[in-house]
Amino acid sequence: MKKIAVIMFPGNNCENETARAIIDAGMKAKVVRWNETTGLSDYDGYVLPGGWSYEDRIRAGVISAKDPVMEVIKREVDSGKVVLGICNGCQILVESGIIPGLKDKIQMALAPNINPFINGYYCTWIRIKNSCKRTTAFNITMDEDETIPIPIAHGEGRFATKDNDLMGQLISNDQLLFRYCDDMGNIADKFPVNPNGSLINIAGICNKKGNVAAMMPHPERATWMHQVPGMHIKGEEFGPGMKIFKSIKEYLK
Amino acid sequence: MGGVDVKTIPIISMSDKDISAFIKKNSLALKVDECRKITELIGRDPTLTELHMFNIEWSEHCSYKSSREVLKMLPTSGPTVIQGPKEDAGIIKFAKVDGEQYGIVIAHESHNHPSQVVPYEGAATGVGGIVRDVLCMGARVIATADPLRFGDVSGKKKNYVKYVANAVVDGIAGYGNPLGVPNIAGDVYFNSSFDDNCLVNVVSLGLIKEKEIIHSAAPSDAEGYDIIVVGKATDNSGFGGAAFASLVLDEEEEEYNKGAVQVPDPFLKNILFRATEEVFRVAREKGIKLGFKDMGAGGIMCASSELCESGGFGADIDVDKIHISMKDLPPYVIACGETQERFTWISPPSFTPTILKIYNKDFELPMVAEGAQAKIIGQVTKSTDYILRCDGEIVCNVDVNVLTKGILYDREKKENKRGFKEPSLKEPSDYSKIGLRILNHPNIASKAKIYKHYDTEVQGLAVIRPGEADAGIQAPIPGCKAGYALSVDHNPKYSRIDPYMGAVNGVAEAMRNVAAVGAIPYGMTDCLNFGNPEVAEAFNDFVLSVEGLRDAATKICWKGDGKSAVPFVSGNVSFYNESVTGKQVDPSPVIACMGYMDDYRKAITMKLKEEGSSLFLAGDRKDELGGSVYYEVNGEIGANVPKVDFSKEKNMIYGVIDCIDKGLLLSCHDISDGGFFACVSEMILGGEADGVIGASVNLDSSLRADKLLFSESSGFVFEANEKNINKIKSIFNEYGLEIINIGKTTKNKSLIINNNDKKIVDLSIDELKEAWTNGLVEALE
Repeated sequence: MKKIAVIMFPGNNCENETARAIIDAGMKAKVVRWNETTGLSDYDGYVLPGGWSYEDRIRAGVISAKDPVMEVIKREVDSGKVVLGICNGCQILVESGIIPGLKDKIQMALAPNINPFINGYYCTWIRIKNSCKRTTAFNITMDEDETIPIPIAHGEGRFATKDNDLMGQLISNDQLLFRYCDDMGNIADKFPVNPNGSLINIAGICNKKGNVAAMMPHPERATWMHQVPGMHIKGEEFGPGMKIFKSIKEYLK
Repeated sequence: MGGVDVKTIPIISMSDKDISAFIKKNSLALKVDECRKITELIGRDPTLTELHMFNIEWSEHCSYKSSREVLKMLPTSGPTVIQGPKEDAGIIKFAKVDGEQYGIVIAHESHNHPSQVVPYEGAATGVGGIVRDVLCMGARVIATADPLRFGDVSGKKKNYVKYVANAVVDGIAGYGNPLGVPNIAGDVYFNSSFDDNCLVNVVSLGLIKEKEIIHSAAPSDAEGYDIIVVGKATDNSGFGGAAFASLVLDEEEEEYNKGAVQVPDPFLKNILFRATEEVFRVAREKGIKLGFKDMGAGGIMCASSELCESGGFGADIDVDKIHISMKDLPPYVIACGETQERFTWISPPSFTPTILKIYNKDFELPMVAEGAQAKIIGQVTKSTDYILRCDGEIVCNVDVNVLTKGILYDREKKENKRGFKEPSLKEPSDYSKIGLRILNHPNIASKAKIYKHYDTEVQGLAVIRPGEADAGIQAPIPGCKAGYALSVDHNPKYSRIDPYMGAVNGVAEAMRNVAAVGAIPYGMTDCLNFGNPEVAEAFNDFVLSVEGLRDAATKICWKGDGKSAVPFVSGNVSFYNESVTGKQVDPSPVIACMGYMDDYRKAITMKLKEEGSSLFLAGDRKDELGGSVYYEVNGEIGANVPKVDFSKEKNMIYGVIDCIDKGLLLSCHDISDGGFFACVSEMILGGEADGVIGASVNLDSSLRADKLLFSESSGFVFEANEKNINKIKSIFNEYGLEIINIGKTTKNKSLIINNNDKKIVDLSIDELKEAWTNGLVEALE
C-alpha cells in the first residue's frame, strides 16, 4: 500500500482529517511533525495540510517555505513523487517556488481576498471545475470540465502575479488545475462565484509535470457526503473531495 | 495554619477605615468584613500574597458566593448525564460504539467585561478559556458556539456598539479559526440594554470516551507527585481578571481594567493542544493516572490548589521556578495572574520526563513562543497546607481546604416592579411592507455576515452548519452515524418584561430548535448574565430566572423516558453586567441545548424542498407580542410575552421528533423571533438565501392579522409530502395535539398569505431575500 506523509508545521490544524481522507482513499497516511525529517524520503507522496503554519508570520506560508523540511520535499518533487498542498499548504508551495515551478524563484503569491461581503477570513462552499485538459496526479478520477462542490476557508487565497507572461505560460502548459465556477460550470469572474478575486478564477495550479498541485479549497472536508450541504442523507458515501485523493492513489499505482 | 517568613498585614489591629484604604490602595475587591473573616479562618494576620489569593478565591467569579445556593434548584443529574457540574466542564451521554461509551463534553462561559473594554482580545480569550475547560477533561475539542448580545446599532452609542460587535466577531474568528475548532451554532441580539455592557458567551464541546476522562484532581496516590506548569511564560496580563469580572464596569478605571484582560495566542494554543493530545495518548497507553486542569481565573494558585484539594492533598510550590517573561513581579502576580495558554499537570515523577519531552522537545514549545515550556514548579504534599515559597521564604501557608472553600452570601431579594403595558396599535395597512421591515431587523436578518467569518468546516465533522437549520449538527465519530445537535437561545426582551417566563422561553426555544432538526434534547448548559447581585431587585430577577430554567427543564422532560429532566450539566454565572448609570442589562440566562440523534442522515433543515408539498402549523397563535420584533419596529415593547404551556410544548416537541425520525417531514422551522411570518420567509429563503420554492398559505384566524403573523408564541411550521398527512396527524393526535394544514409550496417564487380569504401578503422571493440578507450587513456598517 502506498504511503503518504502529512507534513505538520507548527500551527497547522487540518492534519488529522487530511490523514483520514488519505486512509479512506485506500492509502497509508502518517502525520509527520516538521522536526521529524528522518526517513521522510521513504514515503510515496506528501500532503501539506491547511492551517496557520508559523502563525502566518510575515505572510502565509513564507516561514514554512524556508523550513528545512522543504528541502526534502523539493528533492522528492524533482524525483517525481506526488505533492499536494491544501490551503496553507498551497501557500507554502507557492512561497517556495515549487508552484508554478517554471523558474527557480517565486513567481506568484496568495494575496488577501477581495470579497465585497466579508473582509479577511471567509468560509463557505463554492464550486470548482477540473480545468486541466490532461491527466495529472490529481484529476484522473474526474472528467474534463467536471465540477464539484467544495469548501474554502481562508483570508489570503487570491492567486496573483506581477509576471505578465506567466498566465499565458500556465494556460499553454495546461497547469490551471481547478477554477472557480458557477452551478452551470461557467467561469464567471465575479463574487460569489469567484470568492476571493483570484486571477482568472484560479483555485488550484499544478506543475508542468503534473505531480505537484497547490489548491486553496479543502478536498479533505468534502470526502464524505455528510459533509456536503444538503447531501447528508447519503451519509458515509464518498463525497466529491475524495476524487482528488483517489486520483493520487490511481497515479501511484 | 502554619507560619510564614514574610511580614503580614496587621488586619486584626487595623480599623475598618484603614482596612478600607488598604483594600483600595492594593486594588483588592475584598470587603472589610471579608478581610476580618480571613484572619479568623487562618488564625493570624495574612500576608499580602494570601490576601490576593482570597481576593480571587472569594470573587463572585470563582466562588459563586451569591449564586451557589440558588443554583442548587437546577436538575443536574439523570440518565443522560456522565458528569454534572463539578469540574471544568459537564459531560452528556453520546453514542456507544463497539461497546465503548462516548460522551460530549460541554462548557459555557461569559467574557463580557473584557469584550466591552478590549473587544478583540476579550472575545478571543473567551474562546481560548472555554476550549481549555473542555480539553482538560481529556477530550478532543470539536466545536464552539457563540451567543452574542450587543447594544442598539441605531441608538445613542451606535458607533461604539458597532465597533464592539465587529471586533468581537473578529476576535472569535481570530482565535477559533487558527486553533482549528469549528463553529457549530450561535445567535445574536441587539438592544440598548447592552450599550455599555455587551454579552459575549462562548460554548465549547468535546468528544471523549467515558473511560478516558481525566479529572481535575490529583490521583489517589499523588503524594510526592510533581506539579508541572506548561505553556506561555507567566507575565502580569490578566492579573485580577476574576475580580474584574465581579465588579461593575467603571469608565474612569478603563485603563486599569484593560490590564485585567488577557492576551490571546491561538498559535501557541494550537501547538499546546496537539502536544497535550500526545500526552493523553502516551499516558493512556502506559496506564498512567494524571491530574490535569486548565489555568483560567486565579492562574496557578487556583489550578494547583483545587487539583490538590480535590485529591485530599496540599502543595509546596516554589514561585521562583515558574517561568516568567517579566522581571520583578510580586509573588502574588506570578501565582494568581491569568496569563493565557497555560495548564497544570499533576504527574508521578517517573512520568514527568515524558511530559517535559513531549512539550519541550517534540513540539518545541520554547521555539514556538518565547519562554513557553513545561516546567516542574513544586510537589504534591500529604499535609493539606498550601505553601508558596519565594526567594526561599514562605509567602503563603494556608490550609488548602480553607483556601478553596469559598464563602456564601444570602442575598436580599425584592420584587422588581416592572409596569409594562400592552400598546394599542393601529392595524397596519400594508402587511408586505411591515413584514419586510421585520425580516430586515438585525435580530431577524441572516447572520451569514458573522458565521461566514468562522471556520465551520475544519475537522470535517459538519453535517448541518450555522444558518442551514435551527440547530447545527456534527457527526463527531468518523464512520459512525450518530450525530449531535446544538442550539443556543434566549430572548433578552422577554426577560426584561418577565424574568421567569423569559428563562422558560429560553429553554423551550433551545429544545424546539434541537427538535426541529430531528434530535432529542439530552442536556443543557446555562450562562447566567445578570446585574449586580447586591441590588435586591436584580438578585430577585436572577432567582426568578433560575426558577424558570428549573421548571422548563423538569417539565419539558427527556423524551428517552418521558419523565427525567433535561439536565444542566455545566454553566456559568456572570453578575455585575450594568450600564454606566447602574441599570442592569436585560436578565440573560443564555441556554445551550445539546440533542442526540442515532442517525444524522434523518436530520432535516428549514429550507423548503419540493414544489407542491403541504405546509403545516403546530402551536396556536396567541396575542403574545410582548418583547416581539413587531412591537419593536413600532417603537413599543408590550407586556404579554409568550407563555409556555409545558405539557403542550413537550408534546409538540415530541411529535416533531417522531415525525422526523419516521422520515415524514421534508423541512421544519420553529416559530420564534418575528413570528409565523419570519418563520415561513426563512423556510422559503433557506440559510444561503438561495431558495427557489415559494409558499401559498391560507389562514383562518379570529386574531387580528398583525398578531397572527408576528406573535412569537411557540410553534413549528413544517413541510411534508401530501401522502404522509395522515401519518403525521395521527402522531400528533397521539400526543393530544391538532396540527393545521395551512397551504402548499409553490413553483411560483413568492410568499402569499391569505387570512379569512383575504390576501394580506404578496411578496416575491427576491424581495424577501433583499430584506433578510441586508439587515445585519447594514446594521454593522
